[in-house]
Amino acid sequence: MVRRWTLLFVVVSLLAVASFGCRPGGQAQGPVKIGAIFDLSGPTSDVGLPYSEGIRGFVEWLNDNGGLNGRQVELVWQDYAYEVPRAEQLYSQFVQEGVVAFMGWGTGDTEALRSRIADDKIPFMSASYSHVLGNPDEAPYNFLVGTSYSDQFFIVLKWILEDWQAKGGSGAPKVAFMHHPSPFGLSPWEQGGKEFAAQNGIEAQAFEMPRGATDFTPELSRIQEFGAQYVVFQTVSSPASLALKNAKSLGMTDVTFICLNWCADEILVELAEGAAEGTIGAMPFTPPTVEAEGLKAPAEFLASKGESLESKGLHYSQGWWTMAVMVEGIRRTLEGGNELTGENVKMSLEELRNFETGGVTAPITFTTEDHRGSKAMRLFIVRDGRWEPLTDFRSVE
Amino acid sequence: MESGIFFTDYRADMALRRKPAQQVRLGLFIALLLIFPFVASPYGLTLANQIGIATIGAIGLNILVGYTGQISLGQGAFMAVGAYTSGILAARLGVPFWLSIPIACLVTAGVGVIFGLPSLRLKGLYLAMATLAAQEIVEWVITHWTSLTGGTEALVVPAPTLLGARVNTDFRFYWIILLAAGFTALFTANLFRSRVGRAFVAIRDQDIAAEVIGVNIFFYKLLAFATSSFFVGLAGALTAHYRSIISWERFTIEVSILYLAMIIIGGLGTINGSFFGAAFMILLPAFINNVGRTLRDVAPLVATLLPAVQQGVFGAVLIFFLIVEPEGLAKLWRNIKDYFYVWPFSY
Repeated sequence: MVRRWTLLFVVVSLLAVASFGCRPGGQAQGPVKIGAIFDLSGPTSDVGLPYSEGIRGFVEWLNDNGGLNGRQVELVWQDYAYEVPRAEQLYSQFVQEGVVAFMGWGTGDTEALRSRIADDKIPFMSASYSHVLGNPDEAPYNFLVGTSYSDQFFIVLKWILEDWQAKGGSGAPKVAFMHHPSPFGLSPWEQGGKEFAAQNGIEAQAFEMPRGATDFTPELSRIQEFGAQYVVFQTVSSPASLALKNAKSLGMTDVTFICLNWCADEILVELAEGAAEGTIGAMPFTPPTVEAEGLKAPAEFLASKGESLESKGLHYSQGWWTMAVMVEGIRRTLEGGNELTGENVKMSLEELRNFETGGVTAPITFTTEDHRGSKAMRLFIVRDGRWEPLTDFRSVE
Repeated sequence: MESGIFFTDYRADMALRRKPAQQVRLGLFIALLLIFPFVASPYGLTLANQIGIATIGAIGLNILVGYTGQISLGQGAFMAVGAYTSGILAARLGVPFWLSIPIACLVTAGVGVIFGLPSLRLKGLYLAMATLAAQEIVEWVITHWTSLTGGTEALVVPAPTLLGARVNTDFRFYWIILLAAGFTALFTANLFRSRVGRAFVAIRDQDIAAEVIGVNIFFYKLLAFATSSFFVGLAGALTAHYRSIISWERFTIEVSILYLAMIIIGGLGTINGSFFGAAFMILLPAFINNVGRTLRDVAPLVATLLPAVQQGVFGAVLIFFLIVEPEGLAKLWRNIKDYFYVWPFSY
C-alpha cells in the first residue's frame, strides 16, 4: 500500500521536474488591450467608482478621437470588491486574454501583484502611491502617477514649518499624524516621514485611527494632551470627516488639519458638514473647482453625456490622467516601431520627460532609476465648502 | 447486484478504498489532476492553485471543527503564522522552501497548541471567542513586531527554486500544491482510521463519555489543535511562496469565516467535503464574475447594478445549498452515488 503511494508521489515529482521547461506566453493582436480592476462594490467603492469612470471615460474618449495610432484601445475590466484573491484571479485571467498593461486600484492588490507583474513584465499603475512602489529595484513594473505618500507628507511638513514661522510660533511645531490602521495609513510615516520630521525640527507623533471607530474623541484628546498645532491625516474621507466633526465638538479651533490625498476630496467636505472649513488638502490631482487646461477634455466629454465633472469630483480626472499616462507609454512604443510588449511599454514610460497633463498634475517624468512620476503637488484649502488653491506646485527639494 | 462487501484477506479489508468503483473513481480523479495543468489556461491554473491551497487549509480546519468538534475562528491567524514563519525564513535567512515550509508547519502547530489551551475549559461558542482572541493577538503581533515581520509593510518572499529553476508560474507551482494537498488528504484519511483519529471523533460526539472510556481529553484536544494547525500552517506557508508577497491583510477574521463557510458548505468531518467546499467558494464568485462580464456587454443597464447583485447572488446561492443539503456538498455527492449504486432498481 505504502509503496504504491510512494510510487505515485515519485511520478508526480518527475512530471513536475520534466515540465519546468514550458512557459505560456501571449501576444496582443487587433485592439490594444489594457486590463483593469476596480472597486465598485467594496469598502473603497465611494472613490473607486469615480476613479473607474475616469479610466473608462478616457478610453472611450480616446477611441472616439481616433484611438491609438489608428488602433482601438480595449479596456478589459471587472469589479473586484477590494478582495485580493479576486484581484489575483482577474489579473491572471486578463493577462491570459493578452493585456499589455494593467491598471490596479488599492494598496492590497498593488502589493499582492507586485512580484507577479515583475515576472510577467506587465507595467502597472494604481491609485496606491506608497513610496516604495516608485523604486524600480523593489517594484520594477510599478509606476506612480500621483505624488508618493511620503513626498506628500514631506511637502506638508515643509509647509508646516513655513506656516509656523509665519505665525511667529516659537519652538518646534508639534504635528500629530493620524493614520488608517493599515499599510496604506502608515506608509508615509514609516517610509521616511518620521526621520524627515526629526531632521527638520518638527516634533511629530503617530496616532492610529482604530478600524470601524465611530468616535475619535479619545485619539483627539490624546492629541490635545500632546499639544499638537497641526494634525495630518493619512486615511480615507469618511473617518477623516468624522475626526473633523469630533475636533469641532472638542473646540480644537487653533489646530490646523491637513489631509493627504485620499481624504482631500469632495466627499470629505460633504461628510464633514461644515467641519471641513479651513482644512488643507495635499492634492496631486487638481480638483474641478480650479481652472486647468487638462480638465477641459474630461469636462467636455462628460458634458456630452449630460454629466458634469464637478459632480464626479477629482477622482474622475485622477483616473482619466492615470490612464492617459499609461496610454502615452503605449503610444510611444507603437510610434517607435517597437513590438507591443510590457517590457517595451516599460522602456517607453521610462523615457517620459516632463509629460504635460495640462496642470492636473505636475509634469510627469519616469526614469530607469525612479518610477515616481510627479514629485510636486499643490496644497488646497476648503473655503465655503469648495477646494481653493493655497499654494503653487511645490516639491520636496 | 451486490448483496454485501466481503473480503478474503486483511489487506483488502484495511484498504483505504475498498470497492472497485472507489478505486476507479480515485484513479480517474488523480489522472485528471495530472493532465489538468497541461490543458488548462493560465487562468484555470490560478483558480486550481487557489483551490488547492484552500483545500489544504479547509482539511486542516476540518480536523479541528468537523472531526474533533472544537470551533475555531483562528484560521486566519494560524495561516498567518505559517505564512510569516516560512516567509521570514526564506526572505531573511535564505532557507530553501522545502525546509522552511515544514518548519513553518511545526511552528504553527506549536502556536495552535498554545491557543488550544483554553479548549480544556471552554466549549462551543466560548471556545470560538477564545480562538477569536487568537486571531486578534496574532494580527496585532504581526503588525507591531516590526523588526521581525516588517509590521504593516508587505513581506516579499523570494520565489522558491527547485533544481535551479524558479517556481514562479502557476504551472510550476501547481505541482508543489498538488503534492502538498495529496499528502494532506492521505494523512487525514488515514488519521481517522487510527486510534488517535477515533479519539478525536469520540471527543466530538460526547466528551464525557470519551473520558470515561479512557480518552485523555486534554492530550487529544491539544493534539487536534496541533494537527489542525500543522496543515493550516502548510496552507499559509504555500500562500506565502505562491504569491511571493504577503501582508497581514491577507489573514484577517474574514479568512477565518470564509474557511468555516467552506467546510460547512462542503460537509463537516469529510475530506472530499473540504475539497468541494474550497472549490465551491472559489469557483462561485469567479463564475458570477464572468457571467457579470458577459452580461455587461449585452445589457449595459445591468452593469451599473451588477456589483451589488453579485454579492447578493453569492449569499443567496450559499443559503440555497444549505437548505437543500444541510450536511454539505459531500452528502450531496454521497446521495448521487447511492442513487446510482442501485440504479435502475431503486425502491
